[in-house]
Amino acid sequence: MTEQLTEEMQTPDTHRTHEVRVTVEYLPATKPFHHEYQPAATIGTVQAEAMSFFGVKDHKERDDYKFFLEFHGQRLTNLSETLHQLLGEKREAEFHLVEQITPGGMSK
Amino acid sequence: MSQLYPEIEKWAVPQAALAKTVAAVLPTGLAGRETGVFWLGERSTIATVSALVMPSGQGVEEHPEQWKVSPAVYGAISLWAKPKHLALLAIAHIHLPGVPVALSWADRNLSVQVPGILAIVIGNGGADRDHSQWSWNVYNRNEYRKMTPPQLGDRIDITPNGRLSTWRADASGVYEVEI
Repeated sequence: MTEQLTEEMQTPDTHRTHEVRVTVEYLPATKPFHHEYQPAATIGTVQAEAMSFFGVKDHKERDDYKFFLEFHGQRLTNLSETLHQLLGEKREAEFHLVEQITPGGMSK
Repeated sequence: MSQLYPEIEKWAVPQAALAKTVAAVLPTGLAGRETGVFWLGERSTIATVSALVMPSGQGVEEHPEQWKVSPAVYGAISLWAKPKHLALLAIAHIHLPGVPVALSWADRNLSVQVPGILAIVIGNGGADRDHSQWSWNVYNRNEYRKMTPPQLGDRIDITPNGRLSTWRADASGVYEVEI
């Protein structure tokens, strides 16, 4: 009985901890992107949804000018990596959406 | 406009931001390379510039016709700025002598593109100290539009005693500096 009760009480929490609470900050924006993902969600999914939220997109001309997610100072280039692979058992992560280039690039 | 990018009617720019921008960029301009600074502050109906950040060193490339700031530097600035509730309000960069004081194609199309952000071009390698001679452009409706002199007068409020802090940023972090 005690075990059953314990199990029932734990179930909601157990379900909650399956989600990864993701925050993405973008320097020009006043508010961050918040979303919860399954650990199997990929970095590519998080990046795409954050970019959509902030209303930005990659620009392409002679070179690629791209947005990246950055995590603990490292640019994330493997978009197929999952949150679980990146974070392990952690259930919370803060990323920064950053750009590759600023004015002055390329031709005049 | 969204909560993400609240509409900006005016920018309050401390007089010191103008002078310190020139002080920050001119040495590199005199050396024949492009560079620039970021203005950050509170983004609201009246956006107040309160911090000048000079990307420099690791993660920053300065060349005669190109200035690049790496994602790592953007990330470092973002990490530092967000807890302080600072948003990127403007990017000011220089064009060398002989290059038009106007946004280039690349400036228009390959730079930060969010509503209300300012892109400022300072001519003569940063030697043009008169801000009325700078090119002031605001991003709106999917393109940068140059502000006319009357618009500048209406929307840019130069505040003689406005507070400004000055910082240097590279890929490893953001550090307060005297400019």
